[in-house]
Amino acid sequence: MHIPDGILPLPATLGGYAACAAAVFFCLHRINKRSDPAEDIPKAALLTAAFFVASLIHIPIPPASVHLVLSGLLGVLLGFFAVPAILIGLFFQAAMFGHGGLTTLGINGVIIGFPAMAAHYIFRFGTRGKPGQKQTAAFAFLAGSLAIMLSVLLFSLLLVTAVPADMGAAVEKTAILVIIAAHVPLALIEGVITAMTATFLLRVSPRVLHGV
Amino acid sequence: MSCNVPQSGSSVLHRMDPRCRLAGLFVLIFAYSYVSDLRLLGIMLLLTLMLFFLSGLPARFILQKLKLPSIIILVLVLSLPFVSGQNILLDLGFISLKQEGLHASGLIAARFLCIISTVMIVLHTAPLLTHVKAMRAMGLPWIMADMALLTGRYLEVLGCDLRRMQTAMRLRGLHVSRPGLYMLRTRAWLCGSLLVRGLERADWVYRAMRLRGYGQGRAANPKYRATALDLAVLTAALLAAGTVIGAEIWLGL
Repeated sequence: MHIPDGILPLPATLGGYAACAAAVFFCLHRINKRSDPAEDIPKAALLTAAFFVASLIHIPIPPASVHLVLSGLLGVLLGFFAVPAILIGLFFQAAMFGHGGLTTLGINGVIIGFPAMAAHYIFRFGTRGKPGQKQTAAFAFLAGSLAIMLSVLLFSLLLVTAVPADMGAAVEKTAILVIIAAHVPLALIEGVITAMTATFLLRVSPRVLHGV
Repeated sequence: MSCNVPQSGSSVLHRMDPRCRLAGLFVLIFAYSYVSDLRLLGIMLLLTLMLFFLSGLPARFILQKLKLPSIIILVLVLSLPFVSGQNILLDLGFISLKQEGLHASGLIAARFLCIISTVMIVLHTAPLLTHVKAMRAMGLPWIMADMALLTGRYLEVLGCDLRRMQTAMRLRGLHVSRPGLYMLRTRAWLCGSLLVRGLERADWVYRAMRLRGYGQGRAANPKYRATALDLAVLTAALLAAGTVIGAEIWLGL
């Protein structure tokens, strides 16, 4: 779900940077309002590193295998740190593996970051008070799978409409539907993994689930 | 997870002020992404080759770095000539090769190769964290810079934790590849354990950082000093990017 370098025209990549910069500005503004923002930085950074490493865990779906994105879980746990964390993760991925890209860093930040923030709000809204295991699992599943589906929707819309080629409305529609349908199993797996991880954290270390 | 990068070297790029190197990199890759005329691809490829020779990096290393990203884009590049466009170049009955699709495919492939090669060459002439420090000196917000430095520092540590946990799971007879909910639960618990370890480690790290004065004022940026050669290389990059953009505008008139 990362758009590589070279596919999108310059206005799209610059627009992605502008949208992402606005989101980062908003998140940093909220973080700076805390009494001691420096206190949360090591937690956010180490959770970012943990997410980066956890995303390398592969799930076998024969004949291939998929790697976890975990953007929903990241949004749930990191809150306003999620968008900066995703940008940092995407930068490391682009620099270390060439996965994604530097010109498309902003647009990939939007594709993964905005749904992660949506997941954060969904989970926090659904688990106000003292939630039980079932409530936590249900809203974590919703947050995890919805984050992926929103990302896929943004990814397919951007990829199909911004590619410098005339595909025709019918082909574009088919391409979007094919991309979305291909990612439904991943969204379900992410939802299940997010729900299981959230209930595991609720049992083992609830303070992790309270987020940063 | 390590970059296994030949970062040491004596080339101009290796010795360059990291701020100039980053500024030059971003100007060049955005100029490449502006190109839509196939006639300019030769210039882009030539500039990329010049940068490669300037870096002194081994060709094998760069080709190895290009392998994985190229596989990802191959699907798009191979499918576009058959699904995009109106003018048919070759009709094979059930499928036809189209001119517009072929043009878009060539454009994407060349832009991708030039941008990714430029990124790999420039970023692998110094450790990644050096670039993050340079970004901080160039105005990256301190929260993001500190997060990026700590994330980069602990990626390897948590990667080792993950490998250790996976080995322990196998030794205890957990079949991580068994399909179904069992496999997903195992993965989720592995992920959860990694997060708990990460947060516990963050507490120690924060205490250690506080003891060393973290949070008592912003960290000072490294003292960078751009030499005449650094500025000359940056100017050359700006001129190259300007030429590419100017030529694109001129050809489009």
